[in-house]
Amino acid sequence: MADRDRLTIELWILRYRPAQDEEPHFVSYTVTYTEEMSVLEALQSIKDEQDGSLSFRWSCRMAICGSCGMMIDGTPKLACSTFLRDLAPGPVKIAPLENFPIERDLVVTVADFVKKIESIYPFIMPKETKPVEAGEYLQTPAQMAAYEPFSDCINCMLCYAACPQFGANPDFIGPGAMALLQRYNGDSRDAGSRERLDLIHGEDGVWSCTAVGLCSEACPKLVDPANAVNQNKTNSAFDFFLRGLRKENHS
Amino acid sequence: MTRPPKRTIAPIFWLLFGAGGMLSALFGTGLVIVTGFLLPASPPSYQAAAAILHNPLAGLVALATIPLFFWHGAERLFLTLKDMRAGPRPLLALISYGAAAVGTLVTILLIFLMEFGS
Amino acid sequence: MSERRPYVRRQSRLWWASRTYRGYTLRELSGVGVAVYGAVLLAGLDSVRRGPDAYAAFVGWLSTPVAIVLHLVLLAAMLLHGLTWFQTLPKTMPRLIVGGQAVPQKTITNAAIGLAMLCSLALVIGALS
Repeated sequence: MADRDRLTIELWILRYRPAQDEEPHFVSYTVTYTEEMSVLEALQSIKDEQDGSLSFRWSCRMAICGSCGMMIDGTPKLACSTFLRDLAPGPVKIAPLENFPIERDLVVTVADFVKKIESIYPFIMPKETKPVEAGEYLQTPAQMAAYEPFSDCINCMLCYAACPQFGANPDFIGPGAMALLQRYNGDSRDAGSRERLDLIHGEDGVWSCTAVGLCSEACPKLVDPANAVNQNKTNSAFDFFLRGLRKENHS
Repeated sequence: MTRPPKRTIAPIFWLLFGAGGMLSALFGTGLVIVTGFLLPASPPSYQAAAAILHNPLAGLVALATIPLFFWHGAERLFLTLKDMRAGPRPLLALISYGAAAVGTLVTILLIFLMEFGS
Repeated sequence: MSERRPYVRRQSRLWWASRTYRGYTLRELSGVGVAVYGAVLLAGLDSVRRGPDAYAAFVGWLSTPVAIVLHLVLLAAMLLHGLTWFQTLPKTMPRLIVGGQAVPQKTITNAAIGLAMLCSLALVIGALS
């Protein structure tokens, strides 16, 4: 460890301080780094040693909390699982997540995303609730496999930063919320598919998607949100043509 | 609870796009090789070509294939023009889907004339 | 210090031409090639309807450099379209569970591409015989 070369790398960080700056601008920082150092650690070293005003979100440092998503050399990534050795020799461009308003430096506004997540009934709606004494709602491993990857979403919003249709239409429900929707619609214990599908038949629902597919490539947890959006495009189309045949049973 | 959002008619175009996309993905490459390269290399006689195409079954196949190819291209053209912000959306839709609609009508007319004309 | 003034970045008008999205835009344009080829098919069909002279003219046109280049472009478009179409196919369907395990999307894509090769090959063999 001790005799390893001390390497340096230049980071261009997009800064925006709402009280001082009219608009965002890049500021250059040079950090010394070691083989195993992540972008997040570099940002922390800048904050500790060079400029305490640099703002960014982080929490777990192990790709599970979804807080440190940012654009690294133009690609949406988690700063904690992106390593400087892979970005050398630099300079590396670091910017807040694409397609989101910037609150401050690398921190973006998440309010709309949270609203979308809340809107799709993100909980199991059983056909009939039963008392606790009646026991669990059972599920086979195969039934679980049908939705399991969609439950791995960590709400990091990298997929939204990768989606040009979300960039063009901020009201598009987007890949992340659709993955959560499919997590419940694909669950054998759930009976809320109809209600959730009714939310996404519109222009701002699945029909804004043009199957670019980069959301799934950006996903650090292999959730495959493109699959969630596009299988529900198929579902929405079926519903469009066959809705006359279905029994209306909501009051 | 909020009212469900308004539906779009996108599924209609999407279905046509999907049918044309599937047909061309399965057969398109072979078709281009046959009509673009094999046919000019050793063209069948006019009588042979006419005999094939005057078969109502061939007419039906052409009637299904050609318009679906048009609708497939129209959907992709529309979405690409929309991505490029080439103009107001209704205009882009009119150009793209309009061209496919005209192409479909012309195809129906020509095949009708071929099968039932003199 | 706590002033809130979110900065909204405008999406570039040329995003579709950027390195990230170039592949997607090409894929979409390959679909337009499908429609162009539909028009070529229609023209050929109509030449047969109009009679021997028109048919001869159409077949003659197919051998011109312009037609050959056009068909090479259309062939490339069809190949790109077919490949990307079947790459997208597994995204449009529910996860396929066989024996309690999800079938990899690659398997679905490869099976569909195999089927497409058979379909296209059948056309070519049919035309040659």
